[in-house]
Amino acid sequence: MVAPEPPTPPPDSPNPPTADASTTAEGPGGPPLLLMDGIVKTFPGVRALDGVDLEVAAGEVHCLLGQNGAGKSTLIKVLAGAHRPDAGTIHWRGEPVTLASPIAAMRLGIATIYQELDLVDGLSVAENVFLGHEFATVGVLHPGRAQAATAELLARLGHPEISPSRPLGELPAAAKQVVSMARALSHDVRLIVMDEPSAVLDHDEVDNLFRIVSDLTADGVSVVYISHRLEEIRRIGDRVTVLKDGRTAARGLPARTTPTRDVVALMTGRSVEYVFPERPEAQAQPAGEPVLRVEGLAREGEFAPVDLDVHPGEIVGLAGLVGSGRTEILETIYGARRPTAGRVLVDGRPLRPGSVQAAVRAGLGLAPEERKTQGLLMLESVTRNVSLSCLNRFSRAGWLDSRREREAARARTRELSLHPDDPDRPVRTLSGGNQQKAVLARWLLRGCRVLLLDEPTRGVDVGARAELYAVIRRLADEGLAVLLVSSEVPEVLGLADRVLVLREGRTVHQGPATELDEHRVLDLVMEGSPS
Amino acid sequence: MRARPRPALPSRRGLLLGGAALSATAALSACTSNESNDSDDSTQPAAQPASDKAGKPVTIGFAGPQADHGWLNAINEQAKNRAKTYSDVTLEITEGSNDTAQQIGQIETLINKKVDVLIILPADGKALTQVGLKAMRAGIPVINLDRVFNSPQAYRTWIGGDNYGMGLNAGHYIGEQLKDVRNAKVVELAGMDNLELTRQRTQGFDDALKNYPNIKKVARQAAEFTVESGQAKMAQLLQAESKFDALWNHDDDQGVGAERAIAQAGRKEFLMVGGAGSRRAMDAIKADNTVLKATVLYPPTMAASAIDLARALGQGKGVGGLAELEIPSSITLYSAVVTKDNVDDYLSTGFR
Amino acid sequence: MSTGNSREPVTGVMLRKQPPPTPAQPPPPGGSVSTVLRVLDVRNLTLLAVLAALVAVGGFTEPDQFLSTDNLTLVLTQSSVIGVVTVGMTFVITSGGIDLSVGAIVALSTVWATTVATQEYGAGGILFCAVAVGVGCGLVNGLLIAYGRMVPFIATLAMLASARGLALLISDGKTQVVDSKTVLELGYEESYILGVPPLVLIFAGVTVLGWLLLKRTTFGRRTVAVGGNAEAARLAGIDVRRHRLYLYLLSGLCCGIAAFMLIVMTGSGQNTNGNLYELDAIAAAIIGGTLLSGGRGTITGSVLGVLIFTTITNIFALNNLQSDAQQIAKGAIIVAAVLVQRRPSGTTET
Repeated sequence: MVAPEPPTPPPDSPNPPTADASTTAEGPGGPPLLLMDGIVKTFPGVRALDGVDLEVAAGEVHCLLGQNGAGKSTLIKVLAGAHRPDAGTIHWRGEPVTLASPIAAMRLGIATIYQELDLVDGLSVAENVFLGHEFATVGVLHPGRAQAATAELLARLGHPEISPSRPLGELPAAAKQVVSMARALSHDVRLIVMDEPSAVLDHDEVDNLFRIVSDLTADGVSVVYISHRLEEIRRIGDRVTVLKDGRTAARGLPARTTPTRDVVALMTGRSVEYVFPERPEAQAQPAGEPVLRVEGLAREGEFAPVDLDVHPGEIVGLAGLVGSGRTEILETIYGARRPTAGRVLVDGRPLRPGSVQAAVRAGLGLAPEERKTQGLLMLESVTRNVSLSCLNRFSRAGWLDSRREREAARARTRELSLHPDDPDRPVRTLSGGNQQKAVLARWLLRGCRVLLLDEPTRGVDVGARAELYAVIRRLADEGLAVLLVSSEVPEVLGLADRVLVLREGRTVHQGPATELDEHRVLDLVMEGSPS
Repeated sequence: MRARPRPALPSRRGLLLGGAALSATAALSACTSNESNDSDDSTQPAAQPASDKAGKPVTIGFAGPQADHGWLNAINEQAKNRAKTYSDVTLEITEGSNDTAQQIGQIETLINKKVDVLIILPADGKALTQVGLKAMRAGIPVINLDRVFNSPQAYRTWIGGDNYGMGLNAGHYIGEQLKDVRNAKVVELAGMDNLELTRQRTQGFDDALKNYPNIKKVARQAAEFTVESGQAKMAQLLQAESKFDALWNHDDDQGVGAERAIAQAGRKEFLMVGGAGSRRAMDAIKADNTVLKATVLYPPTMAASAIDLARALGQGKGVGGLAELEIPSSITLYSAVVTKDNVDDYLSTGFR
Repeated sequence: MSTGNSREPVTGVMLRKQPPPTPAQPPPPGGSVSTVLRVLDVRNLTLLAVLAALVAVGGFTEPDQFLSTDNLTLVLTQSSVIGVVTVGMTFVITSGGIDLSVGAIVALSTVWATTVATQEYGAGGILFCAVAVGVGCGLVNGLLIAYGRMVPFIATLAMLASARGLALLISDGKTQVVDSKTVLELGYEESYILGVPPLVLIFAGVTVLGWLLLKRTTFGRRTVAVGGNAEAARLAGIDVRRHRLYLYLLSGLCCGIAAFMLIVMTGSGQNTNGNLYELDAIAAAIIGGTLLSGGRGTITGSVLGVLIFTTITNIFALNNLQSDAQQIAKGAIIVAAVLVQRRPSGTTET
């Protein structure tokens, strides 16, 4: 791919990368593929990038690490031509360039796979893949050609089962990620930026992703890989650049040999990766009555009958792959989906099925997976987000007492050590972990007794995770019942007291977390051995 | 776009696009003109008041609805032109509004200015009763034009058209024309159904038709006083009734659309009677080359008469031709039927 | 994507070096029937059913009048003006916008195109003026929204007010009758082409072009993308702002064409024309399955929506029922059509 080619692919031939692999990366003496120097980007009130350097060689997997808010997302938007930097220089294959627009970046051969899945639900798979560079003659589309080319790309990505004509909105998140990848490959690329591509993928999918990445680099394509998972970086990364507070903290570290401690220290100033809080003495079967009891709850086509109990002070984890029904179970318990069989009891009293109001009134609270769209009012302040579920407590005849509202919200956010301690700050400006705390604070304020957590650490950086785990455990110790769903097996095993393992909508194992290890869970998840 | 200075007209008219200026040069096509170029003759037919020599100066406040319709436009014109003929009359005319609250505000401004007499054509009679009362209490006599207030205490004199009589006369005219037709069918194209005046017109029309047992009203649709709705509703009526003998259309403005629909359908087996009395309708009646054979007046000259009454009130005089010293408290105008035979007498009152 | 059954590691499918493991799927075969079904879409089938039910009611209550060719022509003619406006509106709504000014633009165009000055230039002048005024208003809307960063609701609301005001100013509240024989004759039976009125032909032409534009061109594809996810569209290299400008221009163009058609239909221009077109057009688009939030829209559905409304009016008029009943029925149809179209969903509103 480094062979000198016209940088602008004709719009009618958006080939997958098929350049000559024989002319692989230039020797170490040649200029790097990409050199960013002293990039500064300021938004009103925020200096998102404050002098970032990044150097990417041809054919390497260059990992970008940093806490949320370190500037990774802004940097890749600069790289994609979506933001124009205020200062700094960018060299592309030794030549200075300005990335004035997304088109300009694409013409150079830079494609980006965004974390937020920047795809259009209303369009089909093929239409998404070729959006902006459609197969067309004077504006008239050739849908057949786009479909065939898309099918080919998907097959190369190992997913021939995704139909190019299917509306994108019907696909699960992992499949959308694949489409996003196909979209990147539909350009004639020299550099692919992947923003947390593994976040929505399961074990096998990640393997598949790595295979694709190594195929790309074998062809001389460079990859900028962003992930929170250090073990992934160790597996596929060549070099690592660490960002902290909008600056480059370290550049070009060897990915495989740099000690974890050092990386984490560079990112956070701490030297721990995952620290799970102490469990109280393991109880095989907790005493007393369960606060939440689920009896034969089922939704046809989504999950088979589930039975589970959660006692006060207990954390129960649901482990399973994407599509195993774990989120669906949680949402059905919460009343957001109507069950086809079974019932949910709180304190022995059955809840009205399919009613979120009934669930909330009985003391259930859900921290949803899609925090930004389902959990929070992103533009509103911390206070308003926290007080949302019990506004009438601060109102008299409809008039809000905003001082009391603010104080009550602040008491809760302090309890969870939400940082910064500023109740008027817009939730949008908080890091992922602190946003999650805002959601938890809301339920605490409401006085909820059963917390349903769906992927509580999605998008939360390493340092903040440990703190969040500690918060969850402390809440349990104070008497809350917690039902936890996570795609990260160590998280379930480390945090939960008891674990249910799900496979394709069925419970295949239920037992204390201490009796399981990661290997065993993965076996169960994939083999489905009878429990 | 040329704009020729037209000193005789208020500035708003001066802004008119080239259409206005050109029409004066191409004055032959009188019925397509945007501009009235014979504005003086519209005031002639009304009887001159007894005291037309200059007397005590009178300031008259005039508040009407927005002139977005031919008839309402004619009301403003009539008032302005009439006022101009008196050297002792100053007319304070407000920018018309269809918004009740806004009209109330405008009238209150006139009250504060202490005009001698107020002429009010309310956007909504009931909603403006209070402000009429307020003016009367402030000692300003109110002449209520056409749309009547709720309370007689809110006006000194009411002058207006006769909606019921309009329907009645239209019905009688059609009845006489179809006297010898067996099983005659009549169709009605009404105005806006949410206005009381439309119901009164229909009531009068129906009552008149009861005198003619050979006639049956077979269909009625309500348009919205607009050309567009007139065309749409008439097209539907023509489709619904493949043959009928007479049509009464409440309003000559929407009649433009109705006649268009009739021409498009190529129908001419019936006679059509219009309403209100536009110049275009009268020209057509005179030419006698369309289905339109008559129109029932709802004369906008009432605004000119209101100016006369206001002037007489302001000068403390009565009107000529009556034995009483005082001006009557209510004057209902007659809705004459204009046909080919008498159209020349009314031509000058036709509004555009 | 089923992840459970793909445990067998997919062995290195080397990009480009090996043929893909499965051949690229050819596009689904399109027989004539399936093509028709695809064009119509499932949602539109329910609309067709509504329309069929209405036709049944009409045929049952007034068999002689309703089922005649004349009446079919009438319904289509009466649908044509608002139909053309609705096609433009569908694009705007699909892109996540709204155009409240369509009725006012139609009014202004009819008035401006029928002033004495314009009429001097004959039929061509009237047509040109109507279209130019429509496009001009659309340009102002588009510039305000795309480059002035105004919310479409506000920008077009402002246009609604000012265009209506300007129309009143120009016409002075008077009805401007058209002289041009060419224009007037377009409304008469003599100018029907194979029994079809020219207005209906224009309507059909605009519909077909609109359908092609939305379904078969990059412009349409990008319209859906802008409405579905403007940020994704921007990152895909689409100039979202310029695209928005084009959309309001398109809506203005449709208004201009509709204004000319209205002049032909009524033989005049009046400042009260196009009354509440914005609501009729939005309602037709919505019952046609266009999402008010953007990202989905079909021309077929919108046109069916227009036809349903006109058919209701027609049936009620033929049965001599009054406007009150017509308005109630219109409201009921809007609610029913939206309810029927909504996909059965397992999740309840949270």
